[in-house]
Amino acid sequence: MGQSRTLQVAAGLGAILAWIIIWAWLTRPGGPVPTLYFPAPDDVWAKFVRMWQRPYIGSTLPNHILASLYIVLTGWGLAALVGIPLGIAMAWWKKLKWIVFPTFQLIRPVPPLAWIPLTILWLGIGDSARISVVFIAALVPWLMNSMLAVYSVDRLLLDAAKTLGANDRQILARVVCRTALPTLVAAARMALGNAWSTLVAAEILAATAGLGYVAVNASQLLDTDVLLVAMFMIGILGICMTGLIGLTQNWLAPWSVLGARRD
Amino acid sequence: MEQSVGKMASGSTNPATEAPAKLELRNISKWFGPVGDGVHAVDDCSIEVKKGEFIVVVGPSGCGKSTLMTVGAGLENPTQGEVLVDGKPAGSPGPTRSVVFQKFALFPSETVEQNIKFGLQMTGVSAAEQEARLVEQLKIMGLELFRKSYPSELSGGMQQRVAIARALVMQPEILLMDEPFGALDAQTRTILQEEVQRLHREKHYTVLFITHSVEEAVYLGDRVVVMTKRPGRIKRVIDLPRDVIWKTGDIELAAEHPEFIEFRREIWGLVREEIVSI
Repeated sequence: MGQSRTLQVAAGLGAILAWIIIWAWLTRPGGPVPTLYFPAPDDVWAKFVRMWQRPYIGSTLPNHILASLYIVLTGWGLAALVGIPLGIAMAWWKKLKWIVFPTFQLIRPVPPLAWIPLTILWLGIGDSARISVVFIAALVPWLMNSMLAVYSVDRLLLDAAKTLGANDRQILARVVCRTALPTLVAAARMALGNAWSTLVAAEILAATAGLGYVAVNASQLLDTDVLLVAMFMIGILGICMTGLIGLTQNWLAPWSVLGARRD
Repeated sequence: MEQSVGKMASGSTNPATEAPAKLELRNISKWFGPVGDGVHAVDDCSIEVKKGEFIVVVGPSGCGKSTLMTVGAGLENPTQGEVLVDGKPAGSPGPTRSVVFQKFALFPSETVEQNIKFGLQMTGVSAAEQEARLVEQLKIMGLELFRKSYPSELSGGMQQRVAIARALVMQPEILLMDEPFGALDAQTRTILQEEVQRLHREKHYTVLFITHSVEEAVYLGDRVVVMTKRPGRIKRVIDLPRDVIWKTGDIELAAEHPEFIEFRREIWGLVREEIVSI
């Protein structure tokens, strides 16, 4: 098993390397793709190193990254504060669901980006507008999956808890919420994915820093190499963050990881 | 908590005779869905379990015997009839009536230790007492080495041991077991049947035990209640000999005893009538 895993990783890395080689070949001096539209990998790398040290449109790359992370994590975190308790409560108290869910269903099909004009109207073009767009994007997966997490708890466990003398509040706190944790970790991952993917759009809202802001400006200034750096960073950070959330499952819900390893 | 059966002196000769009904299911009927139109699971069943008695309910699959257990535990309300403990309405489920489920129903997020302590913590037992009772149960059920394991790390047999320990640690007055060995392999089942038999002999638990296995019923039961096919009614109640030597040994040996064979034949005949008449 360990061997096939190594092979799998090697195959993945090999494929990425192959893409870079093809990219380098296509963008070589005198090659078929003009560097204005698609700069060579070494140019992008050089730009990356340069941006790490020197400011581009006002900030260095680390500061742009921090600005983006601040918006995304704040929006995602606030959405969690609302979405998890509300989702769990809706699954636990049927009547609350009757009241809240139809409204939620009505709002849900509106894409997060469609909220941008309204947030600008309400909140202007500062951080709060961008955070609210990310918040809306993250709220749906948080809420839906928290609800499903509660539904996914085996009814038999509730019966068992009752016969052991647990009251409703104890069952909710100790059985439902704990058993639902792995599903909540999955919810966290999906919510973050959604939040992250609205980043660029949120930063079109006249940001003064951030990876999306860098990308938009680079496109307008024909700094294609900068644009690629920004896009790579958005991709890589996305991978890192979902990876980190995956790791939290190990200490939040070790039993679920054990079970998975056995299958 | 009241004085539990588990704590009773095991020196008394035969607590089953002359004892009042500990658990009584009185004229229980259960419909799922509207009466007359839904599923009629149980029809007018009355069962009395006296203190220290081991009652086994046996019947064809789908005859409503598990429903009877769920109602007895208070997890479902009967459509008609009532459940009494010591002659009083039993009310909502609680640790007086501990339940062992066929599918174990262990909390996956909790270790063996936490699972067993669960009920004690819910009912406000002191930490020292929790620990003492936990250690005792781990020893009785042979789980000392698995104290820190999660259910997903254990075999089915071990998981059911944890579930039994979790029920017994509450020192319940009544133990309800719903096909507890139905999901286990034959060898594990044999071992656990013998252990439950031993526990009952030593501690005189009051048990209502549901099974579809006639052998299990004859080996474990003081009385066997045979149910009809759905809607489940009580077809026959058979008193089994209690203090006989073949019940104290291995189930393999018991199964060769003429008396065992005779009872098995009789009960199986009754169950078979219900199965073939479907």
